Amino acid sequence: MRLLHWLPGRLLSAIVVLLGASILIFAAVRSLPGDFAQIVLGPLSNEEQREQLRQSFGFDRSLPEQYLLWLGNAARGDFGLSLASQQPVLDELASRLPVTALLAGMAMLVTIAIGIPLGVYAGTHASTGRGSAAARIVSTIGISFPEFVLGCLVVFLFSRFDLGLSVGAFTSPTTDFGRGVVSLLLPALVLSVFCVAATARTTRDAVIGVLVEPHIAASVARGEPKGFIIRHHVLRNALIPVLTLTATITAYLLGGAVIVERVFNVPGIGSYLVLALDRRDYTVIQAGVLLATAVFVIASLLIDVLTGLVDPRVSVAKKGRGA
Amino acid sequence: MSAILDIQDVTVEYSTGGTIVRALDGASLAVRAGETVGLVGESGSGKSTLGSLVGRLLPGNASYPEGRVLVDGHDVLQLGVKELRTLRREQLGFIPQDPISALDPTMRIGRQLELALRGLPNDRAALVGHLERVRMREPERVLRLFPHEISGGMAQRIVIAMTMARSPRILIADEPTAALDSNVRSEVTKLVFGLARDAGTTVLWLSHDLRSVGRWCERVAVMYAGRVVEDGPAEQVLGSPTHPYTVALAAADPAGVQPGERIETSSVDVATLAESFRDDERAAKRRAKTRKTDAESADDPEPAPEEEVVAR
Repeated sequence: MRLLHWLPGRLLSAIVVLLGASILIFAAVRSLPGDFAQIVLGPLSNEEQREQLRQSFGFDRSLPEQYLLWLGNAARGDFGLSLASQQPVLDELASRLPVTALLAGMAMLVTIAIGIPLGVYAGTHASTGRGSAAARIVSTIGISFPEFVLGCLVVFLFSRFDLGLSVGAFTSPTTDFGRGVVSLLLPALVLSVFCVAATARTTRDAVIGVLVEPHIAASVARGEPKGFIIRHHVLRNALIPVLTLTATITAYLLGGAVIVERVFNVPGIGSYLVLALDRRDYTVIQAGVLLATAVFVIASLLIDVLTGLVDPRVSVAKKGRGA
Repeated sequence: MSAILDIQDVTVEYSTGGTIVRALDGASLAVRAGETVGLVGESGSGKSTLGSLVGRLLPGNASYPEGRVLVDGHDVLQLGVKELRTLRREQLGFIPQDPISALDPTMRIGRQLELALRGLPNDRAALVGHLERVRMREPERVLRLFPHEISGGMAQRIVIAMTMARSPRILIADEPTAALDSNVRSEVTKLVFGLARDAGTTVLWLSHDLRSVGRWCERVAVMYAGRVVEDGPAEQVLGSPTHPYTVALAAADPAGVQPGERIETSSVDVATLAESFRDDERAAKRRAKTRKTDAESADDPEPAPEEEVVAR
């Protein structure tokens, strides 16, 4: 119920962020060096042909005019045609979205399934030393290894030696979900290494922080067993900083997907955007980056709501500000 | 009838960054079942350490080189993890100073109470019953609230309900009213002693507040520099104290002076009269130092008995 007090304001600010992002994206794309007409028609075209092409796509109008036109259409769900393929941008992105969504989803799943238990273990065994030191070393390595290095290493190892999984042979999850998952296993693992390490580290620190709180001492004094205290009182309290990190991880997965898809040759949105950049396919770049921004904004919003549910004090603070 | 709580000549040391601080220095206290004992003394005298020691609840940097703590015949310092847990759960009850931070901030009161009462009937009606026992108004509504939505007095009532639900044999209350408004202090104090009397619980009441100790406790034990220096019936200890420190403490009780009158803390007196004490203290330090590698801190300033007792 508290949600209703601050959600409208939060939604409004999300829309403002998206609008601001759309302006930035539009300006950035148009200031890229290289002329679309030149790239499409080649060096042998004459100025008249190029002018005609620009006119047919509306590039002869002023930039603000172009922006408003694009925004108006985008608001109605029409992102125009891809300049390169002449197909609707929305269809092109929609056909690739399941691949990237599955990749990011798998990476997120691995992150939660490994990162959080690892962090809880390290946090609850911090005083014993050995487990904690191991966790710290592993997480430091994981955080500092760039995914393109790791990705190339994995691609090399799995294509040079027969290790059970093949790289490069891709099956779309829409045709065969099971094989799709298998073919995305390696990219997802590479993508999740950083996230697992960061999550484990954050969870560990959060757990250590919660363990020294007086209400934990009170549970100990009541004679509660360690496992019981961790399950009921530590996890929920330690979850708050981990949830905040999840927003950052979402952003990372979006960016990391571009690199990992490229390295593993996965036909998702990331690799499609890189291709569109090469081809100066303005409409595709605009729509793709706006999509990524929207995903991030929505994820942040969801995480805010979740944080409010886990920690009642958070939503009260927001309510106070709004009211 | 033997003592339900028998603390025998206990020494407790905290090691912090290479130095060893001795918090208890041969403290002894025997309490019979059903007694109400007020434990008084200035900050740093070892009251809280002694209280926590009863449940072996001291932080990880504490060690117990000497002495025994017997709760109903069990040596608390030697118990295994499981037995210790059972002892805490079934025989002991603790009420902390700051009740709000003693509650899980992310959990509704009802759910916390339900968890704390595991093994006992903990349905809605039972929870309401427990809150009514501590004279909580609107218990149904309170069960749905979070800790940040209630007052300190309410939180302390909830903690008391949690603690007294199992009818502990010994209740250790560490300045349970110090964080509360003065108008709810006496109510909470009355509540705790009432519930303890009904359950036949032995009370160890740690406090600065001599007046409430004199009013509610049959017996008073005075702590100074890690020992129990005086112990006896309340009216005798507070009325005609014998140990110099207790004399100063009783004289500094703000309840006994007229408004505007200057409170005599006679700290100088205490310092000189407690000289014999300090000699013992030095001897103890030297003993402790034999375990340390660096004898560098030989000139450690002695914990000077300052005028901690201030009128509030």
